[in-house]
Amino acid sequence: MNQNKRILIAVALLLAIVGIVLGVDTLQRQKAAADMPPGSIPIFIDGKFVASFVPEDLNQLKNVSFVDAEEGKTQDGWLLRDVLLLYLGEDNLQTKTEIMVSSSSREKTQTLTWAEVEDQQNMVIFDLSGRGTLKLVSTIPGFDIRDAWIQDVDKIEITTP
Amino acid sequence: MKQRYFSTFQLILLALFSALVVVAKIALRTPLQLPGHSGIFWMTIIIVGAKVVPKAGAASIIGITSGLLASFLGLGDFGALNTFLSYAMVGVASDLILLLLGGDSENPVVAVIVGIFGHLGKFLTKWLFGIISGAPIGFVALGLLRAIVGYILFGAIGGVLGWVTLKALKRAGFFAYLAEKR
Repeated sequence: MNQNKRILIAVALLLAIVGIVLGVDTLQRQKAAADMPPGSIPIFIDGKFVASFVPEDLNQLKNVSFVDAEEGKTQDGWLLRDVLLLYLGEDNLQTKTEIMVSSSSREKTQTLTWAEVEDQQNMVIFDLSGRGTLKLVSTIPGFDIRDAWIQDVDKIEITTP
Repeated sequence: MKQRYFSTFQLILLALFSALVVVAKIALRTPLQLPGHSGIFWMTIIIVGAKVVPKAGAASIIGITSGLLASFLGLGDFGALNTFLSYAMVGVASDLILLLLGGDSENPVVAVIVGIFGHLGKFLTKWLFGIISGAPIGFVALGLLRAIVGYILFGAIGGVLGWVTLKALKRAGFFAYLAEKR
């Protein structure tokens, strides 16, 4: 087989791989759409579903970033504070309000107070991971390392004591 | 005595390339906030390594060894297994496509295709992990197409840089020096 033929096979293989990835993704999205609005992360207040968090809405929010101390990588995205204010308004959020962000696939949970989330110095942000899921990151001591961050976030629960 | 597939000298070279992949991942920072941008230097190293040790399996050895190093150093956001398999797949995918293309990474088109496929191997590993772990699919939509394009583009750039580096090494007489060492 000559080189040109081999290159053509490689290009066809590349197109097939991209097609399969996008095809599987479309099928998965259609399946997910039956349960919830597509591409949404539910927000619950005191156990009651109040809103679902749609990816397109993030484009309205201000982009922020910081360089993490652990690996020196830039983490950029949208402040959790801005996301919550966009959907809930300040009335639902008091200084002692607890915000629990979780990932069922990772079996990880992080609970923060509204005071911590509201303080922009803490950089509690949703960073878009390389594969397109959201990761909750921060500079709060104890919650500033990868092991503590919440990858593949799929639920936000808010409770006010 | 039965001759080993890789000589000790070649294994040392492959180990050095593996370490270089990890060091580059830690030390080199690009201001691009795009998925897959690290493929620029990553694929350059793999392509050069696979030519310096011109045997099938050389890129896989670089991938697997760098994956082990990266896992033990705690690199990556999705755990050690994800990190190891992502790094390893870069090498394995590069080897497989080099086999298909006849192993001539001195050809710029071949180098670009190897760069793309090697880097896409990493993307596919991360994507499959997302499916298996049940990552929230809606948000994948936000970045999936952008991520694929990013991985392909930066893999291709890495391929070009690898080809340029190989040309420079050849001009400097590096391959003649290696031939003497063998």
